[in-house]
Amino acid sequence: MIVLKNITKSYTTDFLRKKQKAVNDISLDIQQGEIFGIIGANGAGKSTIIKMIMGFIRPDEGEVFIENKNPVDPQSRLNMGYLPENPYFYNNLTVLELLRFSTAASGVPKSLAEERIASLLKTVDLYSARKQRLKTYSKGMVQRAGICFSLVHDPKIVVLDEPMSGLDPLGRKMVIDLVLDLKARGKTILFCSHILNDVERICDRVAIMDKGHLKRMFSKNDLGAETMEEIFLNTIQEN
Amino acid sequence: MLAKILSLSVLTFREGVRDRAIIGIGLFAAVMMSVTLVVISLFMRELSKVAVDINLSAFSLSGLLLTFFLSITLMAKDIDKKTIYCVMSKPLSRSQYIWGKYCGILFIILTAFAVLTVFSSLTIALAKLQYANWFTSFSWMEYYKAVYALFLMFAVLNAMVIFFSSITTSSFITLLFSICTYIAGQTIEEVVIFLKSGAGQAAHISEPISRMLDIIQYVLPNLSVFDLKVQASHAIFISWNYIAWISLYACIYSTILLIAASMIFSKRELA
Repeated sequence: MIVLKNITKSYTTDFLRKKQKAVNDISLDIQQGEIFGIIGANGAGKSTIIKMIMGFIRPDEGEVFIENKNPVDPQSRLNMGYLPENPYFYNNLTVLELLRFSTAASGVPKSLAEERIASLLKTVDLYSARKQRLKTYSKGMVQRAGICFSLVHDPKIVVLDEPMSGLDPLGRKMVIDLVLDLKARGKTILFCSHILNDVERICDRVAIMDKGHLKRMFSKNDLGAETMEEIFLNTIQEN
Repeated sequence: MLAKILSLSVLTFREGVRDRAIIGIGLFAAVMMSVTLVVISLFMRELSKVAVDINLSAFSLSGLLLTFFLSITLMAKDIDKKTIYCVMSKPLSRSQYIWGKYCGILFIILTAFAVLTVFSSLTIALAKLQYANWFTSFSWMEYYKAVYALFLMFAVLNAMVIFFSSITTSSFITLLFSICTYIAGQTIEEVVIFLKSGAGQAAHISEPISRMLDIIQYVLPNLSVFDLKVQASHAIFISWNYIAWISLYACIYSTILLIAASMIFSKRELA
């Protein structure tokens, strides 16, 4: 579903335009129906990978394919849902209007869209606030609106960048239940998080990144007696 | 494709019309137009000219405020604040994003102009009732043509804002470029006419500067062609041919800018 072939991406860091590699020669192959987690410290390159998958930035080297399509092609995002880290929406809109845009832009028929919007808003407990402007929302409510925005068109692939950010324990449980429900329905999920317990609980495979490099990739079955936290710390400290 | 552009433009329109700035700008324009009734009583002659001047100036000023404070917020801050990530996570191409944003902004300007046209028509009608003798040569048609020409000017200026937003990373730089373009676009025709006149020739402008001005006058939009205040205030007939030509000019100029913006924005990294 999502294939990254030897991708490298650098950013210019200072006035002298010195380049620093944010992602260095990374290859990944995320299969249909799996929950793939990417973990790493701040600046490890997780968000850069996501931005390349979404087509916001292009790799300097290597290739990215989403269902055999280049992310530059808007059609590659037709079956994709994306929740950015700290989503920022239009303050003067209501969540209802935002979700109507999401479904219209994704080509969901109107009758089906209204049904999906209502059901999803009830799931994330935003239905009563659906006509409230987003500027009146708390951080957790904005995060839940973002989750709705990414799922309302029933995408095959869901990219979640720090989906638990700003959520209370109830909100986190709701997200985990949603993700597990998506998995049960055969969706492919790319999950980036700092909360290792959540990653351990829901991901089928995990990639550990450090300073732009892919340090280790393992499946849930490889965990054994070690916890995700132990594996993560050992991998980072090895280097 | 059109459905996607329309859905983004509706989103942009809704976000824009609910901005507090638009209420302030609308109130300011309404007050300025209402003042017409008081101000013209202070004049001894050409009351219709004064009324038309004040009302068209209110249109210009509110259009400028909308462009510089609202349009720039709607486009450049989308990139500044990363709201664009949510929009671009949908199957929209970069050029659909550019056209969607432009159409949304244009709907806002159109709505503002429609509301102001009703309001200014009321104030002028009241002034006409009050001082009927001074409004014998007033022409509603020429007045509305001048309002339409101002709308065209803002269509071009907002295409310019979109263009600058696509090449810069800061809303402040977009604002700066847009203001400079507006000033240059308003005055470039006068500068060229002056330089080609006898007085201008006597100033001995160097060849490179003269050539540069030649290029600039074709690159920058000639916004003075949309200024029909004088004709409207004196009820001078503005030919339909002229209206058709400036419409075509605005349409072609804006389209070129939006195509260029789409091309540049397609290559841009949204890091």
